[in-house]
Amino acid sequence: MVSKIGFIVNPIAGMGGKVGLKGTDGVLGEAIKRGAKPIAPLKAEETLKEFLSKYTSNDEIKWFTCSGNMGSNELRKAGVKNLEIVYKLIGETTDPKDTKSACKKLMEKKVELILFCGGDGTARDIFSVVKKKIPILGIPSGVKMHSGVFGVNTSASAKMLYEFINHRLTIGDAELMDLDEEKYRKGEWNIKLFGIAKGIVEPTYVQVGKSYYESVSDDEIKDELAEHITDEVKQNPGFLYLFGSGGTIEYIARKMNIDNTLLGIDAVFDGKIVGRDLNEEGILKLLSKYSKVKVILSPIGAQGFILGRGNLQLSPRVIKKIGIDNIIVVSTPSKLASTPIIRVDTGDKKLDQCFMEKEFMMVVIGYRLSRVVKIQTNNF
Amino acid sequence: MKRNSNAFLKEEYNELVKNSFDWKLRILETGSTPHAVVDGKEVMMLCSNNYLNLSNHPRLIQSAIDAAKKFGAGSGSVRAIAGTMALHMEVEKRLARFKGTESSLIYQTGFAANAGLIPQLAGKGDIIISDELNHGSIIDGVRLTKADRAIFKHKDIGDLEKVLQDADKKYNRILVITDGVFSMDGDIAPMDGIVKLTNEYGAMSYVDDAHGEGVIGPDGRGIGAHFGIEGKIDVEMGTFSKAYGVVGGLIAGSQDLVNFAYNKSRTWLLSGSHPPAVAGAQLAAIDVLETEPEHVKNLWDNTKYFKKELNNMGFDTGESDTPITPVIVGESSKAKELSDKLYEEGIFALPIVFPMVARDKARIRTIMNAGLTREDLDFALEKFEKLGKKLVII
Repeated sequence: MVSKIGFIVNPIAGMGGKVGLKGTDGVLGEAIKRGAKPIAPLKAEETLKEFLSKYTSNDEIKWFTCSGNMGSNELRKAGVKNLEIVYKLIGETTDPKDTKSACKKLMEKKVELILFCGGDGTARDIFSVVKKKIPILGIPSGVKMHSGVFGVNTSASAKMLYEFINHRLTIGDAELMDLDEEKYRKGEWNIKLFGIAKGIVEPTYVQVGKSYYESVSDDEIKDELAEHITDEVKQNPGFLYLFGSGGTIEYIARKMNIDNTLLGIDAVFDGKIVGRDLNEEGILKLLSKYSKVKVILSPIGAQGFILGRGNLQLSPRVIKKIGIDNIIVVSTPSKLASTPIIRVDTGDKKLDQCFMEKEFMMVVIGYRLSRVVKIQTNNF
Repeated sequence: MKRNSNAFLKEEYNELVKNSFDWKLRILETGSTPHAVVDGKEVMMLCSNNYLNLSNHPRLIQSAIDAAKKFGAGSGSVRAIAGTMALHMEVEKRLARFKGTESSLIYQTGFAANAGLIPQLAGKGDIIISDELNHGSIIDGVRLTKADRAIFKHKDIGDLEKVLQDADKKYNRILVITDGVFSMDGDIAPMDGIVKLTNEYGAMSYVDDAHGEGVIGPDGRGIGAHFGIEGKIDVEMGTFSKAYGVVGGLIAGSQDLVNFAYNKSRTWLLSGSHPPAVAGAQLAAIDVLETEPEHVKNLWDNTKYFKKELNNMGFDTGESDTPITPVIVGESSKAKELSDKLYEEGIFALPIVFPMVARDKARIRTIMNAGLTREDLDFALEKFEKLGKKLVII
């Protein structure tokens, strides 16, 4: 069967990076003035060439793409013939509107996956249109790639595409991150969780016969995690539970009939929400009222952060008050397969040091099942 | 509408067939001999667990016949009621002596040992810590408990210690379980290190030595003897169905362990005991291991020769330390093709493919046999070389 793959290149992605602009959003003119050269078209071509030469023949895939450097040029240079241009670029330069319009066209064509080349900004533009309807896979080419939809390099993206087409990889949640570039240029580090997209992930396998394994869907694993947390909460009456953000925790909360905010921090006591989408102040207020508190977190984004990315409300003051031994980390095994490490960046050196001394954490990966995962605290 | 109570049987079976996940049973028209007739074709057996070829040993066969003649075809009951014969007790006494432990207990099968004993060793408020590549029967045993579970990286003592550190603070009992010889790669668990750690943390050690019994350690006494720590592993679990050439599960350890185990394991308490012929053959298997060291020696000589020659030809045989020798070929389809072609050429060895092993590490798993001659091995090696070149593996 022929696979239908959508393909979008954000030709300006990554241009700000080499000239020290920490991003390209809103400052393309300045980047060009400083001598920035396009990177994304080359990265896209590199990925496609590797994909085609190593993995497959041309006729297995029908490509749907945009004109010029937004896709068709790269596909042609890589030797792809079976392609259809669904969005024509007007003029020379591109902006987020082009990406979004192209996505609408790709949705009409009912593509199975959108392969794109860009950074966090491009991922957000695509997600704002396709939401969770189509899985997305990124070829890393931006300045910032904190979102969980990218391969670690062009080779990895090529391999993931191949495995997806051959049904060896499955679809799962991937967080999209949003760093405020304007603040970042001024030296402020403010990454928020933007949304939960569909990405492609390694399935989890369970041995059911002597040499027969069944792959378990991400949702089945999350059901187990939900069961685990339900028991945990039941066994600890009198505790206030803070539910972190992200797809995994949102799923768990939903299973527990708790109406959780996907992108925020909620507080639950005795099965009921006592605080929704809390900021630091709101959390601290609750902490002064409840003495026994636990917080449930899950790694967010591509690098496995549990603190410091996407949940700045859980500030050093909050974490110190709760105590690091009262942090429960849950994760699907597929997430740990791609990031076998959990990262912490609280912004407080002393607190980071406490995590460093802990060295590792037990991460819950199934019902009453956990494994050791290394903690890393150094910034990168 | 009234529900169709049996429809799922056919539906689920058809689904398995559609995905090629169903077992296509291969029929042996001979015994499990080094050269056997499988599906009407004479083949050299490279996938049986009958490592020492003891299932065909005249002393085992005679002992089975004698026991059947003397004590009958069946045992009449479960062990706990009226099914414990002097013969069963004799096997357990001899087995403990052979393994260098205080006592031993025989279960109906290895699976029955794991599924019956593990759930009794840990419960609510306890934790079972397991190697990530442990065999399915351990996983099932663990599932039957109310204990929490944690896994450590394959054979990684450092990782195990981290889990122990964490568990030490939170749990009452801690049970660490590992395979002795891992059946896919043929590598051996670092049992000396594991026992040292479990002693340090007051945890219990449990090893499933199904592929090590009769194979590793002096005279094939198993993993305890292999590391010189006989009697120091809290539970040495094993089987009579592989190198011992018969059938039945076993545990070896302290008298306290055995007293506890047979009073608490539901699998042991609720299934019939072995027929006298089985117990007779088990007894003879121990006799043979104690008095005829040549079988274990042959097994290892064959293994070393076979591995060396495969490596010389350019085959990747992985990290095996035992007579399980994987021949790694890469993609799953290639492993299946090699297995089919080997069968056509008269060699019976099965492919092991993803997700049992990594995607690019699909393999033919060969299991050596003490009953094969040097000529047999040269015949097999010639076929491996020919097909390896043809399929561009070497």
